[in-house]
Amino acid sequence: MASRLLLSNAIKASRPSWVSQAVRPLSISAATQAARSSALKNGLTVVTDSDLSAQTASIGVYVDAGSRSETINGTVHLLEQVALKGTNSRSAKVLDAQVESIGASLDVNAGREQIAYTAKSLAADLPKSIEVLADVIQNASLNVDAVDAARSASLAGSESPAEIVFEHLHATAFQGSSLGRKFTGIADSVQTLTRDDLANFVKKNYTTDRMVLVGAGNVDHDALVALAEKHFNQISASVEPTGLGKSNKFAPSFIGSEVRLQDDTMEQAHIVLAVEGCSRSSPDHYTLEVMKTIIGSWDRSLGAAAHTSSRLAAIVNDNKFANSFVSFNKAYTDTGLFGMYFVTENNDCQDDFVHFLQKEWARLSASVTDVEVEQARQKLKASLRLNLDGPSAVAEDLGRQLAATGKHDSVEVIEKALNKITAADVRRVASEYLWDREIAFVGLGPIECLPDYGRIRGNMSWNRV
Amino acid sequence: MVSIAARLASASLGRSAFRAAAARNVLAPVGLAAQARLKHTSARDTTVIPDFDKYKSGSGDSSNRAFSYFMVGTTGALSFMGAKTTVADFLANMSASADVLALAKVEVDLNTIPEGRNVTIKWRGKPVFIRHRTAGEIDEANAVSVAELRDPQTDSDRVQKPEWLVMLGVCTHLGCVPIGEAGDYGGWYCPCHGSHYDISGRIRKGPAPLNLEIPTYVFDENKVIIG
Repeated sequence: MASRLLLSNAIKASRPSWVSQAVRPLSISAATQAARSSALKNGLTVVTDSDLSAQTASIGVYVDAGSRSETINGTVHLLEQVALKGTNSRSAKVLDAQVESIGASLDVNAGREQIAYTAKSLAADLPKSIEVLADVIQNASLNVDAVDAARSASLAGSESPAEIVFEHLHATAFQGSSLGRKFTGIADSVQTLTRDDLANFVKKNYTTDRMVLVGAGNVDHDALVALAEKHFNQISASVEPTGLGKSNKFAPSFIGSEVRLQDDTMEQAHIVLAVEGCSRSSPDHYTLEVMKTIIGSWDRSLGAAAHTSSRLAAIVNDNKFANSFVSFNKAYTDTGLFGMYFVTENNDCQDDFVHFLQKEWARLSASVTDVEVEQARQKLKASLRLNLDGPSAVAEDLGRQLAATGKHDSVEVIEKALNKITAADVRRVASEYLWDREIAFVGLGPIECLPDYGRIRGNMSWNRV
Repeated sequence: MVSIAARLASASLGRSAFRAAAARNVLAPVGLAAQARLKHTSARDTTVIPDFDKYKSGSGDSSNRAFSYFMVGTTGALSFMGAKTTVADFLANMSASADVLALAKVEVDLNTIPEGRNVTIKWRGKPVFIRHRTAGEIDEANAVSVAELRDPQTDSDRVQKPEWLVMLGVCTHLGCVPIGEAGDYGGWYCPCHGSHYDISGRIRKGPAPLNLEIPTYVFDENKVIIG
């Protein structure tokens, strides 16, 4: 019943008149308050997407640098752990107390390509929160004790099975490149890391040409620019400015390969398979998003587990092939990973899951239908707006996109791009990225029934006329 | 702080499902070895992939592919030729040998046959009559009304050149050999049961049901090749 409902909506919405009636007023209202952008005297970009009806203000500084930029493996992970452990003028205790006293929250989140410093507070406390944010970015004390503690924690730390398989996926698919290095760092290099290595990383990478300050919620653009001019006065552009999203000059080559971490004492197998996707700025990005949505994601604990639109989900649900699966499309600045992560305890059926997954992948290149594409577009459009449901999400979207590509696609731009995607586009992009392409995969756990590389690679294309 | 979801999955659906999966994995009893696989237990980290550079192809994907397809294509073509030759060898072995084939055709020099005379030669074990007909005989053969014949055939259906009549010398009744220049119609007469054939070899009288049979033959300058 639910699927019929969805289907009829999808078909209705595909009529242009219907879409324009429903969407136009929204897009006009959004366009009147489009994101504003300006540059500080030192070159730092400030972008805001204000919503003056909000009571809160979210700001963030996104640095176009991550574990790919480090010279010693593990630097960024360690930096992430100690970034909020005090500044030159505030001890960790004072910092925590000041943030807490205004009920704000301060966060650092690092990845392979980006480091995000975010702060959210009540609108009235914006001057305070930006002052603290600027302080932790420019004057982090990185004191030796904190680094030692973080290093010990890092060496003793544990990883979830999902983290393990994704780390190995990057390691084997992008072997020999900076993207293939383990995010948390390997023991040998983490042990050698010192406070000075972190300070050097900050000095080298925290430059105005590779950072962007974003604000959303009740943030006045001019006021934020004035505050930023006052507080972000210690950083400058790098000697050879690169610009946002352009710091990785050599795209890594994708190597088809497998890593098998067999462990028969585990109850569940964690398996991830991926082909090379596209970069965040590629015109094919949104088509791959549509493909990801068509293949779908599923969990047996979902209420509508048996009735999602994904064909793979129906097969997996009926035959109990897996506990859950997630289709992903991870776009980096110069390459990407498009694939599938699944967890199963039905260990005899891993090859069945892979077979049906590859059948669905092949179908994308050969016979994907208009209805599926339309459904996926609607889902993506809805999730796009549902995701940007508050100032923090809006600020994060601004920051992540700007740091990755140097520009920001608004919801309207993305909707326009999605509306243009047809089944023929999906077939073309699937033929380019999936059909007969190299594949990298990693299995962890009881993976006796995970087919070997030759068989999986062979099934990336089928005999057809 | 480090959110794996943020690093790996991008859209909300993916992310929430991912978190759900991750959360369950944390709660589920994952067994001893899962614990043992925690970081840095072995001397060598499994994320350190050995250097396979010397196995890597220096050329691009497409040229490797072209080479593979070339090899597959060439192997296929050679195999096909081998298979074809094998089949041809067997067929040649099973078909008629050269001495048999040599007997399949008979060549007759027409210069040696004067006008108005019959020659009988042996072809594949059967007699073949060749008659060099005179102009009068040709007129006579054409003058016959086809409608009256038991096996209606015009003379031109039975000859390639009017002066040369070539036919099997086997009576269509029971297979005797007719006698030339005999019978009521100036052609052939079968003595066994009295079948009369005319100067075109058509049955005119007697028990035979059909005209005398015409073999395949071709003229080659002054020769006729039968068979």
